[in-house]
Order: sequence, then structure tokens, then C-alpha cells
Amino acid sequence: MRDSGGAFARLGALPAAVLSLATIMLSDALRSQLSTLVTDHPVVLFMKGTRRAPQCGFSAQVVQILDALLPSYETVDVLSSPELRDGIKEYSDWPTIPQLFVNAKFVGGCDIVRAMKESGELAQLLAAPSVPLAAAALPTIRVTNAALAAFQAALSDAEGEVLHLKIDGRFQNDLYFAPREANTLGVEADGLTLFLDPPSARRANGMRIDFVDGPSAGFKIDNPNQPPTVKQLSPSELKALLDQGAIELFDVRPAHERAQASIAVARSLDEAGQKYLFSLDRNAPIAFLCHHGMRSQAAAEQVLSEGFRNVYNVQGGIHAWSESVDPSVPRY
Amino acid sequence: MSAHPTNFQGSVVDALREAIEREIPGAQASVSGGGGHFSIEVVSAAFAGKGMLESQRLVYSAIAHLMKGDAPPVHAVDSLKTRTPPAS
Repeated sequence: MRDSGGAFARLGALPAAVLSLATIMLSDALRSQLSTLVTDHPVVLFMKGTRRAPQCGFSAQVVQILDALLPSYETVDVLSSPELRDGIKEYSDWPTIPQLFVNAKFVGGCDIVRAMKESGELAQLLAAPSVPLAAAALPTIRVTNAALAAFQAALSDAEGEVLHLKIDGRFQNDLYFAPREANTLGVEADGLTLFLDPPSARRANGMRIDFVDGPSAGFKIDNPNQPPTVKQLSPSELKALLDQGAIELFDVRPAHERAQASIAVARSLDEAGQKYLFSLDRNAPIAFLCHHGMRSQAAAEQVLSEGFRNVYNVQGGIHAWSESVDPSVPRY
Repeated sequence: MSAHPTNFQGSVVDALREAIEREIPGAQASVSGGGGHFSIEVVSAAFAGKGMLESQRLVYSAIAHLMKGDAPPVHAVDSLKTRTPPAS
């Protein structure tokens, strides 16, 4: 679950005339959007700014309180749209932001959240099994034979303990043995039972757990729910992909740097290059190159936010390319 | 305290207190603040048996007209306390 005002991105794109019409009515569309939002997510905070960058002291206080109690929750930035900002006030009949909803019910603003935190009511409300997970939403998790064997060996030593899997909001995984924790769900996975709390279970569907032996032995986890990230590519991996014609390479450096050292097949990110980039399928593998790999990382992350899903950064940039792939490329 | 422009004429503190005392039966309100930010404390038997959410809703609905619009006189209620009168 990302913290975002993303659910309302569509509204932001509407022409102003349509929006001003919408305000007059707390349009049915907005009302039903709000209602879907608070129903789909057990905990939703309407706030100014984002979870990581609150834009108002009251919103920041509530974020801080929730952060201490929950690994993840949905936040909606009301500053992203005036219609949303007014609409939520009308929806909840509450004149101020932030506003907290739990299980589709309006809980209150900053004052109330703070008081409920101090009385312990908030922890109760958030921990109660009332943050529901529909039975149908039990995740499917695959465990390879190698992983199963590794778990079973460990389980035989862990008396009275069960295997827990936690997946936090940034999709960091934590596998550990402990006596069964409260409010966890048992999920059968290829002969193994894993225990997950509801937020982890929501993030787990379709994941695959493998065990890799060898010098860097460890569990290898693939999670299709994880939002795409910029993947790193070494110069030699890039070479292999370029040779197969399996990747598009973009050089983010300005012309004077490209003139000093460049890779022939790389496209520059000038106007024509950008036009070409955005004409590509959003699943097309694309890589970014710069001098040492910093500017290209930034470019890659930006492109990721434009919806591209297979985005690579060339580690070490053209300097590393010259060192490990093609020494005829000058270093500067 | 930040400045929030408003074209409201007169004392916002008085307007808040009068609105609350007019709308909530037997309420006694004390209001302080300025620059768009206010602290409000209300004592009324009307809060008896009501939770914090409902009690605050009563107050907010009494002052809603001062919080609406593009440049409302009340930008934020920094603190809102509601109490019932002590049993005598």
C-alpha cells in the first residue's frame, strides 16, 4: 500500500469547469469515490501532505501517532485537489483536516485521535480483529521445495513457535519464528503454515519463497505486489542485453559529456529521445546511463513514476563501462 | 501564529463565543486566539452522555459558518475541549 493521493489523480486531470460544477453538489461521483476509498482500506487518513512529508502540524501529529501503531495505512493528500478538500469535509460532516477513518467509520480529527491514543482506545480500535480481511482475500503463497526443507529443519528446533511472515509498507520481508502472535492469520503454503498479520496478508498474494544455497545462502522472495523499483544493471549485464537487442539504453548526460565518451547505441535524452522514450510500451526494458550512475538513477526513478515498469540504472555509469566492458571508451 | 487573511469584520473570538452559546443550550464558551487559529473550551450539559466526537460535532456545527468559504475567519481550531458542568 503506498501512501498517495493517487486515488484522486483522475480528478486532478478534469478541466476546471467540470470541477467547479462538481463542487456545487459534492458530486455523487466524488461521494462514491470517497466511500469506496474508506471501504477498501481499513485505515485511511485524509491529511495535508503525505505520510512522509506532512504539510501541517496537525496532520503530522496524527501521522506520528499512527506510525507508532501501524506498519501501513492509506493516506490521501487533500491538498492535491480543492474538490477533495471540501468534499471530505462534507462527506464526514467535519470541518477540519486531518480526518481519520477506520473500517469506513469516521473516527475524528487530531484532538480526538490524540485523546484516543492516550486512553489506549486507538490501539484497541486498530488492533482489534475488526480491521477485517475477507476470507476470500487469504493470500496464495508458493514455497519451493528448497525453502520448505530449510523451514522444516528450523521448525524442528523451534518448539512451540510458528513461522511468521511480515511484509511492511516498503515490501521489506521479515521471516521469523515466535509463539503465534495475536491477530495473525494462518496461511497454508505448499505444506507449510505461515502466520501473517492482516496488512502483511494483503501484500502477500502471489508471492513466492525460495531458498538459495551456497556462499550467500538465504531466502529469495518474489512478490508481485511490490511496486516496481529501479533495478541495477552492471556494465557487463548491460552489454549482454544490448547484444541481444533486449533493452533500450538512454544516456542522460548533456551533449558536451557525451562528446567525450559514449556508447554508440545509446540514445540521448534530448527532445527526440524523450519523444521516443514515451512512445515505448510501459513494459519495455529501458536502461539509463550517465557518468557514474547517480544522475541516471534519478532519471530512472522519474521514469518509473511515469508508469514504466522495467527500468534499469547502469551501475557506475560510462566510467564503469569503460573499465569493465570497453576500454576504448575514454574516461574523464 | 500564521496570518490567514479574511474579510470578516469584528471580533472573531466574540463571534465564536456567541455562536456557540446561541446554538448549544446552556453552553458557556471561552475562546482565545487570533490570526485564524483559536482555542475553544465549552461547558454544557448538552454533552452529557455524548462521546468526544459527537460533542465536538455539536460545537463545530454551531460555528460552521465561520469556517466555510475561501478566506474564513476561522482557519483552524487548535484545541477544542468540551466538558459537562460539574455536578452541584
